[in-house]
Amino acid sequence: MHQQPLVRLTGVTRTYPLGRVKVRALTGVSLDAGRGDFLALTGPSGSGKTTLLNLIGCIDKPDSGRVVIDGVDVTNVPLHRLAATRRDTLGFIFQTFNLIPVLTAYENVEYPLLLQNVPATKRRDRVRYWLDQVDLAGQAGQRPDQLSGGQRQRVAIARAMAGEPKLVLADEPTANLDSVTAGRILDLVEKINTATRCTFIFATHDPALMARAPRCVRMHDGAIVAEPQLEARAS
Amino acid sequence: MLTKLAFRNVFRNRRRSAITLLVIIFGAVGLILFGGYKTITFHNLRESTIRNRLGHLQIYKRGFERAEAKKPLEYGLDDVVQLRRAIERDKRVRMTTAQITLMGLVSNGDKSETFLATGVEPKEDRAMNAQKLVSGTDLPDGEADAIIIGRGLAASMHAKPGDYLTLMSTTTSGSLNAIDVRVAGIFMSGVKEYDDRAIKMPLAGAQQLLQTARVERLLVLLEDTDDTAAVRADLDRMFTQRHWAIEMKDWSQLATFYHQVVLLYNGIFGFIGMVVFGIVIFSVANTIVMSIFERTREIGTMMAIGTSRSSVWRLFLLEGLLIGIIGGVAGLLTGAGASSIINKAHFMLPPPPGYTQGYTLRIMLQPGILITAFLIAVITSTLSSILPALKASRLKIVDALGHI
Repeated sequence: MHQQPLVRLTGVTRTYPLGRVKVRALTGVSLDAGRGDFLALTGPSGSGKTTLLNLIGCIDKPDSGRVVIDGVDVTNVPLHRLAATRRDTLGFIFQTFNLIPVLTAYENVEYPLLLQNVPATKRRDRVRYWLDQVDLAGQAGQRPDQLSGGQRQRVAIARAMAGEPKLVLADEPTANLDSVTAGRILDLVEKINTATRCTFIFATHDPALMARAPRCVRMHDGAIVAEPQLEARAS
Repeated sequence: MLTKLAFRNVFRNRRRSAITLLVIIFGAVGLILFGGYKTITFHNLRESTIRNRLGHLQIYKRGFERAEAKKPLEYGLDDVVQLRRAIERDKRVRMTTAQITLMGLVSNGDKSETFLATGVEPKEDRAMNAQKLVSGTDLPDGEADAIIIGRGLAASMHAKPGDYLTLMSTTTSGSLNAIDVRVAGIFMSGVKEYDDRAIKMPLAGAQQLLQTARVERLLVLLEDTDDTAAVRADLDRMFTQRHWAIEMKDWSQLATFYHQVVLLYNGIFGFIGMVVFGIVIFSVANTIVMSIFERTREIGTMMAIGTSRSSVWRLFLLEGLLIGIIGGVAGLLTGAGASSIINKAHFMLPPPPGYTQGYTLRIMLQPGILITAFLIAVITSTLSSILPALKASRLKIVDALGHI
């Protein structure tokens, strides 16, 4: 039986105004990502990786083409009406961690569950579980400014996973970390991917991450120029 | 969670929040102090106007107000004894006193001046404590030809206690009459223009000068000013039942100066309120706008992970509300403390326009003033965060996430 991909982008174009000129960030990009995929978007700066991630993350709109997430065509749905989709289907991991500074690690992980109205007991169990998974149970009461970069990113991963998303989007998640910490973060993400079958899509420059990704999509000037694994399979 | 977030965000940038809170506190304290000063001023002015001068109610013969009398006391009360007995039966009535006002010329043999005299019952007048004696004695009982005279008029007439003056006026029958009177004392009321023309004399002396047994009006003083309307209604009913041709006015209808002061002070209070309102609006709006600017990326993150626009709007509105509540409560406490200090310090203020005596600055705290100050702090603070909060909720997520 044919299974619909979790993410399907068809002929997606996105143009940004830059002063008086328009910059084409994406030109007719098509991409499918299935459930449980571990996919890395690579390419030089300005190649369109983050723009593509933004469109998949329902925080930006394409000028043309179609974006379907989990079987729902979100192309023409206003962004503010997609808050529930982002809340229930997606998880985000950012390069700069983007934790809420006035909340503790526990509260940051709890935040998406509060948005989802998860009952208190279940919420507590799930927060503890994910803090355990990222090995931060002992730091639950600490605020982001009391944590190291690696610890903050682990809180961000726990926050992204706590809402039980189908898809996690990570924009340069290891860029602000040293190589040892970045390696540990990748181990953790790989483990979660294997255990939960949650789809991960990364935008990255990190060769270590590219090396681990079973699927690597190379972009250049707003277009997908190569997908080595597919090419290898084809040849 | 929103409340927790809002509360923590309020204290996130402590210096900026402290400045905003200080502005709100100063505003609230200003409102409380001026409101408290206004209240005590109104209260004192009202009570002194009533108890020293007007009484709570004044009773006249019907027609006194509308008809233009051709002769003095044409519309005077003939039999006040029965009237007073009926009125004083009411437990809320402290006392009644009859009065006559008359005008004429006062002479020391060398010089004449116009005077404005009030014929009073000496005992009741002393109880009203209407004037302050600067020399001599108050009006004695049972001496119809003694007078006390305003300080300005005494100076003009070169009169001192013990001197004799002549008062001349038109009688109720329209002829001229004059009597010699002894200056018992010199007084000041606090109002210079009045003191330059004023004489107080016993009712019997005034009746003798006007050659009448009538009185012009009967003043009714109550134990409690708040009973005025109720007592007036009861008296009205009694007069109607007894078919007495009487009309009545309450102090509020007679106290023109009091109402002018109330109007003026309320205008000033309103203006100060508007200024405070404006300062708090701009201060809180500035704080929220700065906060949004600093937290743009955070707002973007919150919206990216599923926070709705309305939640972001509510979060910033809540922050404005919390700043208002904290500032309002602190303002109330500071205002109450400042009032207590001022009341204990007994600061003397210069005489108001038209008065010759200064007075002690006092602040009267009333729940109404405290509630008003608190509400102004909370409402302005919340109102001023509406637009910035709306702006925050309308941020584009992608732009917000890219904000540095």
